Amino acid sequence: MSFSARLYHPEMEKEAFWGLNWQSTDPKVPPELNSGTAAAALLPQRLLSLNWNQPMSCDAGFESAVSSAVVGQTGSICNSGEISPSSRRRGASNSCYSSPLNSPPKLNGRGALPMPINPMPGAHSVPFAAEPWFADGAAMLSNYGGGSSAGFPGQFGLPVIPANLSRVSSSKSLKTGTGSGMGAPEKGSDAGMLGPARMEMEMMTKLGGSSTPADSEPGNGQEESSVSSLRGVTDSNARKRKAAAKGKGKEASLSYAATDPFTMTEEENSDAKRSKPGEANGKMKTEQNGDPGRKQPPEPPKDYIHVRARRGQATDAHSLAERVRREKISKRMKFLQDLVPGCNKVTGKAVMLDEIINYVQSLQRQVEFLSMKLATLNPQLDDMESILSKDMFQARGLMPQPVYPAEMTSAAVSNVHQPQATPGQSIVTSLLEAQFSLNPLESSLHQSQSLQLVPLDGFTVASSQLGEFWEDDLQSVAQVGYGRDQKPAFSSQSYPGKRNGTPIFD
Amino acid sequence: MDSENSACGNPNPNPTLGPSKLMLAFRFLRALSLVHRTTPASSRTCRGRRIERAAYASMAYSAGTGRGWSRAVLRRLHHRARRRAVAPRRLSTTAGNRAEALRQLVPGGAGMDYCTLLEETADYIKCLSMQVELMQGIVDSSSSYGP
Repeated sequence: MSFSARLYHPEMEKEAFWGLNWQSTDPKVPPELNSGTAAAALLPQRLLSLNWNQPMSCDAGFESAVSSAVVGQTGSICNSGEISPSSRRRGASNSCYSSPLNSPPKLNGRGALPMPINPMPGAHSVPFAAEPWFADGAAMLSNYGGGSSAGFPGQFGLPVIPANLSRVSSSKSLKTGTGSGMGAPEKGSDAGMLGPARMEMEMMTKLGGSSTPADSEPGNGQEESSVSSLRGVTDSNARKRKAAAKGKGKEASLSYAATDPFTMTEEENSDAKRSKPGEANGKMKTEQNGDPGRKQPPEPPKDYIHVRARRGQATDAHSLAERVRREKISKRMKFLQDLVPGCNKVTGKAVMLDEIINYVQSLQRQVEFLSMKLATLNPQLDDMESILSKDMFQARGLMPQPVYPAEMTSAAVSNVHQPQATPGQSIVTSLLEAQFSLNPLESSLHQSQSLQLVPLDGFTVASSQLGEFWEDDLQSVAQVGYGRDQKPAFSSQSYPGKRNGTPIFD
Repeated sequence: MDSENSACGNPNPNPTLGPSKLMLAFRFLRALSLVHRTTPASSRTCRGRRIERAAYASMAYSAGTGRGWSRAVLRRLHHRARRRAVAPRRLSTTAGNRAEALRQLVPGGAGMDYCTLLEETADYIKCLSMQVELMQGIVDSSSSYGP
C-alpha cells in the first residue's frame, strides 16, 4: 500500500488519517519513523495512526472534526486523568492529553520539523480543523489537565503538525517513549524536547518517557502499546510538563483543573526544562525552555476554563482567564467587523474600534437627520397604523401557516380599494416591499394594491397580542412624545445646545 | 432573552436574528403618527426630537429587555420624563481610550466591561441600521408621494 502516497495526499484527510487504514500502514511507519529526520516527517502520520488505532471514540470524533474530536476526547481524558492522578505514567488518558501537545517540539526543533513535514500535504490538510484550534488557542480541550486518552497524542499531534511541526516530533518521541517504557523518567522524556515547546511539549516528552525521537518506532503492536503507554503516562506527566511549561510562556491555558500532582513536579519541571533545551533543535523559543530558572508557581488551583495553551504561554489561572477573555473579545471584534461595512481590510484593534465608533456615530447622526426630515415631511400616516396592524395580523398569522396565501389573496381582492388610495398606504406598501419582504404572500397582497384586509378569523389571537403590544409601546411613546405637554410626570423636553454624546439621552 | 420580549407583549419571532423588522416598523410608524398628531407643526425641532426619541424607543422595544443597551434606552426614556436633559457630553475618540468613546456612544455602556460592551455594540449597530433603513424607507415613500 502506498503509505507514503497516502501521507502525501491532501485529500487524505481525516478519513484516511484517522481511519483504520493507518493501522495497516503501521508496519511501514515505524521503519520510516525511525529513519532520522524522515521520521519527523512521518511523525504526524504516526501520530495519526497511533491515535487512530486506539480508542474507538477517537475515530468517531475525527470524522466529524478534529477539534470536536479532540474536545470530546479531552473531555473523557480529563476525567479519567483527574480521577487517577496517581497513575502518572499509567493513566492512559492523561498521557494522550499532554503528549500531543508536547510531543512535536520534543522531537525536533521547530526548525527541524517543518522541513520533513512539508512534503506531506496530507498532514497539513488534516489538521485543518485543528489549525484554527492551535492558531487561536480556541480549542477547548475540555479537561485538558485530566486524563488523556491514548487517542489524544495522535489527535493533538495531527492538528499540531501543520501549526507546529515540533509537536509532531514530540508526539513521536512520546510514542517512542511510551513504547520504551512508561517508567521512563521525565527527564528522559524531557531531554531533547525543544525549547519553544509549550508546556504541552513538555508534557508530551514526559509522557513519552524516552524522548529520543525517531527511536525505535514500534510496530503496530508497539504503537498500540505506546499509545496505551501514553495513556499510562497519565496526567502526572502531563502535569509535570505543564508545570514546567509554565515557566516558559506567557499564557498557558491548559486547564490543569484536577491536578494537585502538579505541585510535586516542581523539580521535574525544572528537569524537563533543562532537558528540553538540550533537545531543542530549531526551536523558536529556545530561550524559554532553556531557562531553567523560569519556574512558575505550582499549577493554579482548579481552573475549569478549558482552553488550550499555546506555545510558550503561561498556564497559571490568571493567564488562562485572560486568554479566554482575549479570545472572547477577538471573537466579538470579528463579529463587529462583519457588521461594520468596510472593515474587512482594516486590521488592528485600534483602527477597528475607530471604525466602529465612527459607524455608530454616523448611524446616530442619520437617525437624527431622518427624524428631522420626518418631522418636516409630515407623511400621511393616518391609515398607516391600521394598515400596519392588519399587516401585522397577517404576517403573524401567516408566517406559521403559509397555507393561507390563497385565502389572503382573495381577502385582499375582496377589499380592493383604489390602487394606492392614500400615500400612507403606498408608504406602507413600499416600505414592506422594499425592506421586509416577509414572504411571497405579502407580495401578492401588494399586487392587489390593497392593504385593507379584513383580519381573518384565525388571527384573533394575533390581534390580542397586537393589542398588548400596542398598549405598552404606545404608552411609552406617548410618554416620550408628550413629555412636554403633560406636566405632572413629565418635564419639558428641550435639548439645549448641540448634541455630542449619545443623542437624546444626554 | 426572548422571554423578556414577550414580557413586553411583543414575542420576537426571530430570537436569534434580533428584533423583527416588521415589528420595528410597526412600532415606529405608530409612534410617528402619534407624534405628528400631537405636536403642532410649528415646533419642528421639538417634533424632530420627539420623533428621534420615538425611534429609539421603538428600537429598544423591539430589541426587548434582553439587551443591556435597550434596557438603558428604556430607562433613560422613562427617567427623562422626570428630569431635565443633561448637557450633552463631548464625545471624543481622542480621549486616549477608544473604549471610553464607545461607552459614551452605546447607551448603557458605562457600566459594562469591555467584552460585554463589544457585544452590545454589535447588537446596537444591528438595530440602529435597521432603524435607519426603516426611516429612510419612510422618507423615500413619503417624498415620492408627497405634495
